[in-house]
Amino acid sequence: MTLKDRKDKFMEFWNEYKKVKFGLVGLAFLIILLLLIIFEPLIVPFEGATEAWSDIAYWQDYPQNSRPVWTNFFSKDKRTPSVILEDFKETELPQRGQVRFFEYEFEYDYNYDIAPKDMILRFKGDGKPFVTISIIRPDGKTIDLIRNREMIISSIDGARVSIQNNSGANAYNFASNYESAENLSGVARDRIDVMPVIMSKADVGITKGAEALKGTYTIKISAILREPQENIEKPIITMSGAVSGLMGTDNQKRDLFTGIILGIKWALLIGLLTSFVSITIGVIYGVICAYFGGIVDVIMQRIFEIFYGIPMLPLLIVVSAIFSPSIWLLIAIMGLLYWVGPVKTVRSIGLQIREETFIEASQALGAGHFRLIFKHMVPLLLPYTFASMALLVPGAIVAEATISLLGLGDTTIVSWGQILNSAFRGGAIINGYWWWVVPPGLMIAITGMTFAFIGFAMDKILHPKLKSR
Amino acid sequence: MNNNVMEVKNLKVYYMSEKGPVKAVDDVTFSLKKGETLGVVGESGCGKTTIATSLLRMPSPPGKIVGGQIVIDGIDIVPLKEKEVRKNIRWEKVSMVFQGAMNCLTPVYTIEKQMWQTLREHREMEYEEARKVMIKYLNYVGLSEDVLRRYPHELSGGMKQRVVIAMGLFLEPKVIVCDEPTTALDVVVQAQIINLLKELKEKLGLSFIFITHDLATEAEVSDRIMVMYAGKIAEIGTNHQIYGEKGPMHPYTKKLLEATPRLHHRVEKLSFIPGTPPDLLDPPKGCRFNLRCTEVMEKCYKDEPPIIEIEPEHFVACWRCVKK
Amino acid sequence: MNWKYIIKRLLLTVIVYVILVFIYSVLFNSVLERTIRVQIQEKIQAEIMAMTDMPSDQVRNYREQRMKQEYDRYELDKPVLQRILNRTKRTLTFDFGNATHMRSKTGEQNAWTIVKETIPRTVILFSTATIINLIIGIMVGIKKAQKAGGALDKATSIGTMIVFGMPAWWLGMLLIMFFGYTIKIFPPGGIQSTPPFDGFRAFLDQGYHMVLPVITLVILGFWGTSFLTRNVVLGTLQEDFVMSARARGIPERAVLYGHTLRTAAPPITTMAVMSLVNSIFGNIVFEGIFSWPGMGNLYFTAVQQQDVPVQITLLAILTGMQLLALAILDIVYGFLDPRIKVGGRR
Repeated sequence: MTLKDRKDKFMEFWNEYKKVKFGLVGLAFLIILLLLIIFEPLIVPFEGATEAWSDIAYWQDYPQNSRPVWTNFFSKDKRTPSVILEDFKETELPQRGQVRFFEYEFEYDYNYDIAPKDMILRFKGDGKPFVTISIIRPDGKTIDLIRNREMIISSIDGARVSIQNNSGANAYNFASNYESAENLSGVARDRIDVMPVIMSKADVGITKGAEALKGTYTIKISAILREPQENIEKPIITMSGAVSGLMGTDNQKRDLFTGIILGIKWALLIGLLTSFVSITIGVIYGVICAYFGGIVDVIMQRIFEIFYGIPMLPLLIVVSAIFSPSIWLLIAIMGLLYWVGPVKTVRSIGLQIREETFIEASQALGAGHFRLIFKHMVPLLLPYTFASMALLVPGAIVAEATISLLGLGDTTIVSWGQILNSAFRGGAIINGYWWWVVPPGLMIAITGMTFAFIGFAMDKILHPKLKSR
Repeated sequence: MNNNVMEVKNLKVYYMSEKGPVKAVDDVTFSLKKGETLGVVGESGCGKTTIATSLLRMPSPPGKIVGGQIVIDGIDIVPLKEKEVRKNIRWEKVSMVFQGAMNCLTPVYTIEKQMWQTLREHREMEYEEARKVMIKYLNYVGLSEDVLRRYPHELSGGMKQRVVIAMGLFLEPKVIVCDEPTTALDVVVQAQIINLLKELKEKLGLSFIFITHDLATEAEVSDRIMVMYAGKIAEIGTNHQIYGEKGPMHPYTKKLLEATPRLHHRVEKLSFIPGTPPDLLDPPKGCRFNLRCTEVMEKCYKDEPPIIEIEPEHFVACWRCVKK
Repeated sequence: MNWKYIIKRLLLTVIVYVILVFIYSVLFNSVLERTIRVQIQEKIQAEIMAMTDMPSDQVRNYREQRMKQEYDRYELDKPVLQRILNRTKRTLTFDFGNATHMRSKTGEQNAWTIVKETIPRTVILFSTATIINLIIGIMVGIKKAQKAGGALDKATSIGTMIVFGMPAWWLGMLLIMFFGYTIKIFPPGGIQSTPPFDGFRAFLDQGYHMVLPVITLVILGFWGTSFLTRNVVLGTLQEDFVMSARARGIPERAVLYGHTLRTAAPPITTMAVMSLVNSIFGNIVFEGIFSWPGMGNLYFTAVQQQDVPVQITLLAILTGMQLLALAILDIVYGFLDPRIKVGGRR
């Protein structure tokens, strides 16, 4: 077929396809998914998240198991979202000999009912400064959270201190001024929930965060640098929120929205590659069976029956358990088992085509096997091939997700199945962390739906007489 | 004094397609006398099969009877409710003999079951009695009672055709519509079936509508013949009027007969009618045959010719036959 | 029905089965071997520890002796191929041996016993769901075919596509979260309450535990059946014999259920059986989510514990069931379609 013929056929196909509404919807979804993949670096709020997905340190400052930010819209008590404070006022106080004194002031507007989970100070630089952190509340009271702590700045990670972990005693002391004896007795000094204490009204119930103290807080950091080469750079305060991110966080504090977006490319890769490989093999196999017939057909059918009898999931599980495969090996195995799908249908269509007189005519004209198979028979099967490919994608994606869910998948990649695996093992179901369970599965379902729309639309064009009476 | 067992007046049957109504049968009027065989001839797509299914009031979807009357045994079946038609008209007053090659017997039921089911639906009968009826009619068509316990695929084409004929007859309806009953059969079987039909007509006094595109068969079987073209009647006449020495009057009929090779004439070139039938979605103005007619006049492009009786029982729709 | 055909078909099934069992044996052999070797070492070590006062050279002898004994017992020193063949032979004769780690409810070690007690649980769950799916699916499918292109038809077709890629286990997770933990109206898993009931109440209790998983399977399952039924029935409705039956005045009900459905039965039956078979295979994880102690769950536990005998037993049983189902399907198809039954031309 000439290029023009091909183009015409394609336009013909496209005109038919355009008529099927849900097919267009599917196509639209597919384009959206592809765009999300292309613009992934821009969309994902965290740089380098792909590599850092398993890196606990990367996500350290974020809250665990926190709900998505927009749930605040639906609840009466607003939870604090995670935020990074980067603006500060730097003042250098008069030196005393070699010793230098620096002060950094951060401002934080607090307008929520439920306090953040933690407040974390990070900075880079050099040396071992002594650091004091105090917070001035909107009601004028000041709490010294950390006093003269020597913080060692590592060349790799810098320095980090978490208020929740280190200010327990100070918070307790502050609270004891206002709290009732009864409430205080129920709180352990070293296990007090620091943030609610800092950010609640100075009154009975302060240890429980009874009433939030809203307003502007000023966080003052004083650092003492004793050696001349010491210095502090880029101090940052992270408020580890009670809600975080567009889709919340998991128990490893990872932003799930990032995970979901990262998973798109894997889902599409797995689905498309598996279906492309297996359908191609299957169609060619079926055509060869039909074309040659006779003993070739018989042998190939027997081989086919053996593969057909292999239950895919159990085998996949066994192989994964024994070999701990990479995603590529999984795709290969799936490809090796899915090819049986189209063979029966392709073979029967192929048999019909072979009986067509134009085949006989071509043979009479001296066409060779290869030409007959690939130029005459296969093109007639193309619509069926594409429809089959589209319809296989969801199955492949679910298969990978299933394997991952069992803990047998490739843990180095961020796939939706992996996320669901962590969810299941992290007790998401028991604890009701719906934001961890719903989005990944929903994405699997939506992607499956997309390809179902596309595949069924193609199928509909193939069998027009079944449209309606 | 009406000897007509069926009268069709101004029947219009259109197929409601996405692009608009396809006027498959457009204002057709004819009648069927008791005891006669009216043949309906025409090219594929002229509307003859549409008429066949319409006479049972079940035009194939998306077909609809949009106008006219079909009066069978004094009752106009067009406005009746479906339930009424199913109970009292179909197979009671009018039955159909389908094309043998058609897959018209249910493959999973035996012949007996299918016949028994039909009988039971229309008559209060015990099985014993029904069986007698079945065997009687199977014998009429030349089949033994053996056939009863067979499945359709076990029978040959000719046998299936006979079964279908037997089923069409056994309630002894007023009108039996035969839609290409011999078309897919080989010549020998064809001849047998035709003889059978003629015999039954004599014996049982039945009235047939015999639809075919094969003029030779038509000549054998029919008393009167109706020639259709593009959804309209071109000519109606007796067997003798159409096939006799004088020959037909409508140019189309003339051409049809010319195109049939004769055994005893020498033929240099087979004659044929150039062109194709018109698009019934948007039929041409005037006479529908105008583009292919060799005797066409200017008037033929403007106005549709009326049907006039040029001699008793002989009707033509052609401007050439209208005397000024 | 052609007896020759039936025999040929069954024979073919057996051959395929043998080959598959062989493949499984090949796969598992290395793993099993490793496990057993380790177990033997541990066992002998334990024995030696128990015999506190034995001189060291005697210890060495003892160890060598025992190892040889055990290796003999497990045929570990025979060539690989022979071991594989032996295992294949044993599996085929249903001599599954003992599990390496797992135990049955009654504490037995026999692999077959362990597997046997899980079979009815899986069967009851999936059969119930499949039967409900089929009933709903076929009914809806027929309705769709009758008014093809209508509102019901279009809406359900879209529905089919929406759930097409939805994992059953995920929907299960959602339902458990909501109905099992948030509003606690159904048990979040397991097959019986603790403490377990007796007699008839135990039966009801099991049914109570089946509700969520069955609902999950049905929500996802009937669409496909209805879609296929619709297509098959619609195709059949366009056949000439349907029109012919109607022309004979046969009531619509008889035309639909009698003539049409009976003719459409073979492909629909195929689909029904295939869906049952597939649901058992594809839902290993599903059982795990619901903590339903069936074959799937057992398989997964066996994989985790690397208990090869149990795995092979399960695979052998499941594969056997699948192959048998396919063969029976082929044969029954012949009975359903009289065109094949009486050996006529198709």
